[in-house]
Amino acid sequence: MFDRKIKWDWRMFPLRSTLQFAASMVLLLLAWALAVRLLKIPSYVLPDPVAVWRALVAGLDDSPLNRSSFWYHLFDTMLATLIGFLIGALIGVAGAAVMAESETVERIAFPYVAALQSLPKVAIAPLYVIWFGYQIDSKIAMAATLGFFPVLLNTLQALSSVEPEKLELASSLNASRWQKFWYIKFPNSLPMVFAGMNLGIVYALLGSLVAEFIGGQRGMGVLILQLQSVNDTAGVFAVLVVLAVVGYLLLSIMRWVQRTVVFWSSNPRDLP
Amino acid sequence: MSVHAETLLTVTDVSRRYRSRAGGDILALDKVSFSLGNGEFVSVVGPSGCGKSTLLKLISGLVPPSSGAICYRGDAVIKPQPGMGIVFQSPVLMPWLTVLQNVLLPMKILGSNSVAARERALSLLAAVGLDAFTNKYPSELSGGMQQRVGIVRGLIHDPGVLLMDEPFGALDALTRERMGLQLQDIWMKNRKTVFFITHSITEAVLLSDRVFVMSDRPGHIVREFTIPFERPRNYKLVSTSEFGGIVDQIRNLLGASADV
Repeated sequence: MFDRKIKWDWRMFPLRSTLQFAASMVLLLLAWALAVRLLKIPSYVLPDPVAVWRALVAGLDDSPLNRSSFWYHLFDTMLATLIGFLIGALIGVAGAAVMAESETVERIAFPYVAALQSLPKVAIAPLYVIWFGYQIDSKIAMAATLGFFPVLLNTLQALSSVEPEKLELASSLNASRWQKFWYIKFPNSLPMVFAGMNLGIVYALLGSLVAEFIGGQRGMGVLILQLQSVNDTAGVFAVLVVLAVVGYLLLSIMRWVQRTVVFWSSNPRDLP
Repeated sequence: MSVHAETLLTVTDVSRRYRSRAGGDILALDKVSFSLGNGEFVSVVGPSGCGKSTLLKLISGLVPPSSGAICYRGDAVIKPQPGMGIVFQSPVLMPWLTVLQNVLLPMKILGSNSVAARERALSLLAAVGLDAFTNKYPSELSGGMQQRVGIVRGLIHDPGVLLMDEPFGALDALTRERMGLQLQDIWMKNRKTVFFITHSITEAVLLSDRVFVMSDRPGHIVREFTIPFERPRNYKLVSTSEFGGIVDQIRNLLGASADV
């Protein structure tokens, strides 16, 4: 069904904008280093970029089995994020499908969804620690919870906004409900499902970190707290750099999957 | 010309009411009666909102009549049945399916997606000049090509009647004329009964055996014209005085009813 290959194209990374970006980054780092020195900002407030670089190298160079290694913590955070996201996205798509197909279920469930959606979901984290403990389970639960909502809401909207003619075509052939769902509604909703998943993966990472702040034993959130407690601000910055890169990679992978699966959608919704 | 041996579809005193948002009843169609002979090409022209599309949905079985009866091959039409093929104003293709997969979608729904169906799809696509595009996706096709795919899809399950709801309305004038003639070609080869809704009087007269003129709401058939010209017809016919005479009569009828 989805057999069309995406052709690789170097124009995806035009030289000029890449150079411009690199130049701006060099300038920013220079300005940062100069400001720290000239304004004599204490290193526990804003560390020198060189110190951040050293902390980054040290953290990445460490053996992954070592508790001070970034890899040791990153593994746990990523595992929780990915498992949590998959669970959240699956339940989101399945829940939306049931709600879209059954008016009764939607009528009953939607008020709860709306109420939970407006609840600041990070507030549930302490509860999850009570329920699921201090290990990876509570992080997975938090990642799943945060990843679930954008997927559910986008899928629900997509499933209930199919062009009426597409369904009339199926109805005119006496298509069954299953056929209408699998041949028309579901594939038709995929571009928006993926738009929801792009949001969901970023939220899932957020969920893992929040759970680690609240009650984690291991993970990037735990590492940040440890470094903060010993005033290692350069270390905190280094972890933030890693998290930014990881978040960007996750989103890039999601978009690649999106372009491959929903190749027909010319307008995959872009995210900041 | 309009004497057809076999009557395929009869519409008898069919009315259709809609509940309006204000709560009142709107009479969209008022006691419409006609019959379609097997292999006949019949067009309906009328002002916007006169119930042409409603009439098409009633015939397809998608919408039940409020009163009156529709019979297809002697059986009452009370729900959709695969004896009808529908072509919409927009192509309504599934962007995730190739041209061939789109054409075969009705067969998949009907559970008869066989090798024979595939052969038939390929020959129909070849007949409309799309043999080189069977594995392309709709987004790679022009509007006219997409609509041809829509027409082929409407014919794939060999329906008795092809219902077309302003199928060329979204195309530019030149493409529209070409598509009309191509439809005539397909029709002459297959001799399907065609029920064709259009805004273009010229298109209706050029393509049809009979043209029904509908009035403004509540829609009913004001007059029926039998079009006598030999087939195949082409756009040279449009400049003849006989053709112009029929077009003028229809235009006057519509002008008396409402602006088109």
